[in-house]
This record gives sequence, C-alpha cells and structure tokens, in this order.
Amino acid sequence: MLRQSFRAELQQLDQELIRMGALVEDQIRRAVKSLTERNVTLADMVIADDDRVDAMEIDIERRCLTLLALQQPLAGDLRIVSTILKIITDLERMADHAADIAEVTVRLGQEPLVKPLVDIPEMARLSSSMVRLALNAYIHRSLEEAVTMIRLDDDVDHLYSRIFDDLQGLMQDRPETVPQAIHLLFVANYIERVADHATNLGEWVIYMVTGERKELND
Amino acid sequence: MTLGGYRVDNEAPHINVTHLSVAYRDQRILKDVSMTVPGGRVLAVIGPSGCGKSTLLRVFNRLVDRVSGVHIKGQVQVGNFEVIGDHVDLVELRQKVGMVFQHPNPFPFSVFDNVAYGPRLQGVKNSNRLRLLVENSLKQASLWDEVRGKLRRPASSLSGGQQQRLCIARALAVSPQVLLMDEPTSALDPLSTAKIEELVLALKGRYTVILVTHNLQQAARVSDFTAFFREGHLVELGPTKEVFTTPRRSATEEFLTGRYE
Repeated sequence: MLRQSFRAELQQLDQELIRMGALVEDQIRRAVKSLTERNVTLADMVIADDDRVDAMEIDIERRCLTLLALQQPLAGDLRIVSTILKIITDLERMADHAADIAEVTVRLGQEPLVKPLVDIPEMARLSSSMVRLALNAYIHRSLEEAVTMIRLDDDVDHLYSRIFDDLQGLMQDRPETVPQAIHLLFVANYIERVADHATNLGEWVIYMVTGERKELND
Repeated sequence: MTLGGYRVDNEAPHINVTHLSVAYRDQRILKDVSMTVPGGRVLAVIGPSGCGKSTLLRVFNRLVDRVSGVHIKGQVQVGNFEVIGDHVDLVELRQKVGMVFQHPNPFPFSVFDNVAYGPRLQGVKNSNRLRLLVENSLKQASLWDEVRGKLRRPASSLSGGQQQRLCIARALAVSPQVLLMDEPTSALDPLSTAKIEELVLALKGRYTVILVTHNLQQAARVSDFTAFFREGHLVELGPTKEVFTTPRRSATEEFLTGRYE
C-alpha cells in the first residue's frame, strides 16, 4: 500500500472534521435553546465556546496546508484536502452565527418574549441536521446524500419567509414589539445563513466526488 | 525574422501521432497510440517506469532507430513532416526536433563552441553570424547573463544546472521547432530545476515542447497538456489542470494519488 502516512493523516483529519462539525451543530442547538429558555448562562457558554471552534479551524487548516506542502496530493486526494479547507471555513462561519444568536439571548435578558418561539427552533433543528447530513455525505463520499441534504435548504427558506411575515405583521399590529421583533428577525436570518453554509458543505462534497462545482442554492 | 541566416521565430508545429506502435523484437512498448500535441504548447508525458514514455520521445526524433530489432508502425507528423518511414532525412528531422537529456552532456569544448557546433555543421562560417547565434541561443536558454565574458571557458567548468541550460542553448542554436526533454532536471538541485522550469515556460509559444518527467509537480507547473501512459497505452491526454484535479480515467486517478501498484 502506497502513501500510507498520507491516508493515515487524512483519516485523522476526517475525525477532526467530524468533531468540529459536531461542536458546531451543538453550538447552533444550544444557542437557540438559550434563546427559547431565556438562559443567559448557556448563551455565555456558547459565546465562550466559539473560541474552541476557531481553534479547531486553525488546527485543521494548518494540517491541511502541511499535507499540501509535504505530500502534494493530486486528483481525488487534492479535491479531498481542498474540500476540507473549504468546509472548515463554512463551519466556522456557522459557529459565528450561533454566537450571534447567543448574543441576542444575552441582550434580551429576562425580557418577556413577544410571541412563543415555534418556527425558529424548528428552523434551527433543520439547519443543524443539514450540517450533520452534509458531514455524513462527506465521510461516505456520497453524491446522493449531498444532493438530498441540499434540498432541505428549501424547507429552511420556507420557514424563514413565514417567520419574516409573522414578525412583520406583529410589528405592524403592535409597534411596541418592534425592538425585540427585530432581534428575532436577525436570529431567523442567522439560522437561514447557517443553512446556506450547510448547503455550501453539500456543494463541496459534490465537488470532491465529481470534480464539478455546482451552485445548487440561489 | 531571421538571424545569421536562420529563422529564429518559427511557427511551432502541431504533432500528430496516429496508431503508433513500437516493438523491440517481440516486446511491445507502445500500443496503438494516437494523439495530437498542439503547436507551441508544452505536453508533459507521465506514467510509471516502463510505460513507454521515453520510447515515445525517441520516436519523435527517431533516436529509437538506434535500438536493434525495433519495429515501428503507424504515423507521426511534425507539422507536415512525416517522421516515420525509410526515406526520412534524419538530419533534417533532428534539426527540426531538438532533444535535451536527463544528464547534461556538453561536448568537451568551450561554452561558445558547444552552442556553435550545430550551426557550424550546417555551414555557418561567418564569425559575426556565429557570435549572434550563440548569444541569441544563450539568451533564450537564460544562460547569457551568467556566461557572457566566459564563452571561451570549457563547458565542463559550468555548474550542472548551467550545463543543462547550455545543452538547451545548443539545441536551440539550430532553430528547431520542437524540443524534446527527457527528465531534464532529474540530476539537478531545486534552484537549477526552477531555472529550467522557468525556461520551459519562456520557450512556450515559440516551440512545441514535449517533457517526459517523473516529477508530477513539475508536469503540473510547466505543462499545458498532460498525457498519462501505462503499459504502452495512452490512457488519458487532457489539459493539465483537468488531468491533475479531475482525471477522467480511474487509472490516472490511481497513479496520481499513489494507489497504482
């Protein structure tokens, strides 16, 4: 078996990527939980843990660059390493959005919610499951799984426009809700961005498998 | 444009290979190879040892004839010039198709006489013309700045990298249209290698260059097209950036990712 050390390093990178993905998924889940449960302590933890995600990104990036410099991978191997480099950037951005949501929790403090949160947690659940499905597609090198997970973005977009309409109606009917509704609108937007980044992950997996770059969400 | 009576700005020709097979006695080295190399471009030929890539190179200037028992079938054209056949003027062919080898092989003469060797054989006697030709060839080979004022020194006094560039200058002095390079940097250090690679990039457009190399990164850095050979077959030929990122054939993928056994 040739290039065993390269394969071994790639396997380790896969593990690290899965760990980073799991952490990001957890960050999104906990950020939205902190908002629905008005748990500022949990929000602070999410904000603090963003540094862990950043550190993981830097570590994986460094290892990818070392692999590129020392092993000079080509063809499918080159696509794997460049896919990892792109995926970690998207994961890091998603974690930033989770921290943004946690910031909203902190800002709102114990202020009563202007409406019960139903669609926002559902949107977050969908978006974070997209992250997991995208990483599964990466690990399985599966074009089919990547294409399937990207379709979930339509559901997220649908929820987003519903939340948008709801909050807009609320602000028109009850102008006193505007300050908080704007925050919630931002939260919905952050989650929508998370789903877009997850879609990017799927697109990178498609590139890794087929060598073709396709923009599937527009 | 002419210099010293010689054309120096030549139209780099396409190379067409049609159903080329080469065998040494009963051993088949190249098997029904057909391909086109666009004029003025650099083609890298890669593949595992024994895949036939060096033999292919030696067909283009018919150096392959020197192996006893060789049998060539098919057609090779450099521009309109037929390469295969009993009545090919090998002197004319080798003037059109220059070659640079793995190890620098300067003649045991001065720097000047190495480069002037070919033109002198072709009958250039005028010393001014010769001087211009030598200077122009050394400039094209990116060696002029390092050897001007030292042209009478023995070629052997140059470093390995300089000797290889001298051999390239010597090949260019007879105004070839095609340059064959057989592992031209395998005996050189990284800095000399970089200079040769820069030189290949600079020669692009004026010459059709075919580069056989085991150094995949070198192929990736300097070539426009890459041909992958295995066991005498042309497996894949395509734009280098495509072959190195998304090869179409699984055999190429296996070779490039080190899985080929």
